[in-house]
Amino acid sequence: MMEERGEEIGTQSLGGFFIRSSADGQPRLIGSRCTNCGKNFFPKRLICPYCFSDEKIVEALLGPRGRIYAFTTVRVPPPLGFEVPYSYGYVDLIEDDVRVPAMFTKDRSWQLRIGMEVILVIDKLQTDREGNEILGYKFKPIEE
Amino acid sequence: MRDVFVIGVGMSRFGKFLERSLRDLGREACWLAMKDTGMRPDRIQAAYCGNALGSYLQRENGVGQSVLWQVGIRGIPIMNIENACASGSSAFREAWIGVAAGLYDVAIAVGVEKTVMKKGALLDVGDAELEVKIGDVFPGLFAMRAQRHMYEYGTTLEQMAKVSVKNHHNGCLNPYAQYQKELTVEEVLNSPMIADPLTLLSCCPNSDGAAAAIVASRETAKMLSAKPVKVLASALGTGLYHNKKEMALFDLDFKVSKEAYEMAGVGPEDIDLAEVHDAFTIAEIMHYEGLGFCRVGEGGSLIDKGETEIEGRTPVNPSGGLLAKGHPVGASGIAQIAEIVWHLRGEAGARQVANARIGLAHMMGGGKEGDVGACTVHILERINEI
Repeated sequence: MMEERGEEIGTQSLGGFFIRSSADGQPRLIGSRCTNCGKNFFPKRLICPYCFSDEKIVEALLGPRGRIYAFTTVRVPPPLGFEVPYSYGYVDLIEDDVRVPAMFTKDRSWQLRIGMEVILVIDKLQTDREGNEILGYKFKPIEE
Repeated sequence: MRDVFVIGVGMSRFGKFLERSLRDLGREACWLAMKDTGMRPDRIQAAYCGNALGSYLQRENGVGQSVLWQVGIRGIPIMNIENACASGSSAFREAWIGVAAGLYDVAIAVGVEKTVMKKGALLDVGDAELEVKIGDVFPGLFAMRAQRHMYEYGTTLEQMAKVSVKNHHNGCLNPYAQYQKELTVEEVLNSPMIADPLTLLSCCPNSDGAAAAIVASRETAKMLSAKPVKVLASALGTGLYHNKKEMALFDLDFKVSKEAYEMAGVGPEDIDLAEVHDAFTIAEIMHYEGLGFCRVGEGGSLIDKGETEIEGRTPVNPSGGLLAKGHPVGASGIAQIAEIVWHLRGEAGARQVANARIGLAHMMGGGKEGDVGACTVHILERINEI
């Protein structure tokens, strides 16, 4: 099953939340779709919170394009040790009608704004205490 | 259900008390609440302790038992309650349920917390939530709400800063407050940026402290208290987690306050004072709207008009709120109850809201999917005769 949908990224990654799709090489988020009521979810759920189906809800790869719904830039070091400043927020996935939390890429040439179009990428999220790079999914603004 | 009355309240000062333990702070609050009624601890039939982070930050479990041991309470049911920032208010609600249901005639709710840590550190709430794994911190979550509120309703940085200025002014009048220092709008806006657009002085501090409240049935209140305050309503809700959650308003505020207003038989226009969860300036503005003190999108102009100042139409956070009084997470919800009881009894000193008859306490805690973990609303009323 793993081989069919794509490549899971490393053990030091935000495992289980994203994948590089084998179809087009694009990163995708691993979410769920309820085939009974049509709703999408991220992160993945096993029971649909709307129709409560546990059989009609299936894994779905979501993204990669979205629009920024909300964002902020954090200036003080958080407990998990991300390098500051960093920006994160919520992105509405254009194809999938679902809102997902994400960090944005550190490219400072971009001035983030609400409504800006972004695309899913795989990028370094942080370096852990042992010096390992932890990969994660992020969104990168698309040049207009 | 039976009518329930608050017969005693007490709290420690909120602040930075590195040398004091959870149990020591909790004892002070419980003992003051006992002294407030003049009753012996062995009259208490059930106890509920709100504490959010003790098992994580102090590596302590059974905080309620440890606190109540200090005042000699033993043998009775004691429950430890964790509902993030709403832990204390949830503990108070459990005490209310116990008495309202007729299980107990007297119950105590205590909230205690120690969150002071080294300067500049953000509160560590664990990393179980996806949001935290991708960099979410509480100031950031509220910063996004601020961004959305500015985007949708034109709320300004100055309006948000005025919340901090107002609450710090009120804190100057409150001997229990962590901060007793006036601020200006410029000082709030020019303090270090935490998460755009929220600056340091737009965020509540980390605090240590405790608060306690004793509730009783009508017959017992009559016997034990000269000045009982009636609990008109208690309501608790959990996030609605709509797929694509609207972040510029707290829909849970609307839901929970509606339940509370209906139970109490009053409306927002009847509220003489309110203590609300102002962990960040934008939150207070959004709660004005969620609790019905103004229409959606008009929270910013309410603070501009001064209507939530102590002398205003609906005074909000006369205690100084979490911003100035401080926010020992699990204690804050019960400290709000204490504040309202003092105002309704006319004992609030320099910050007294004149002729206060009905007060509302609002707390929210935790976050999930951009929504709120828990939200409580309590409505209390001054009574002339029991």
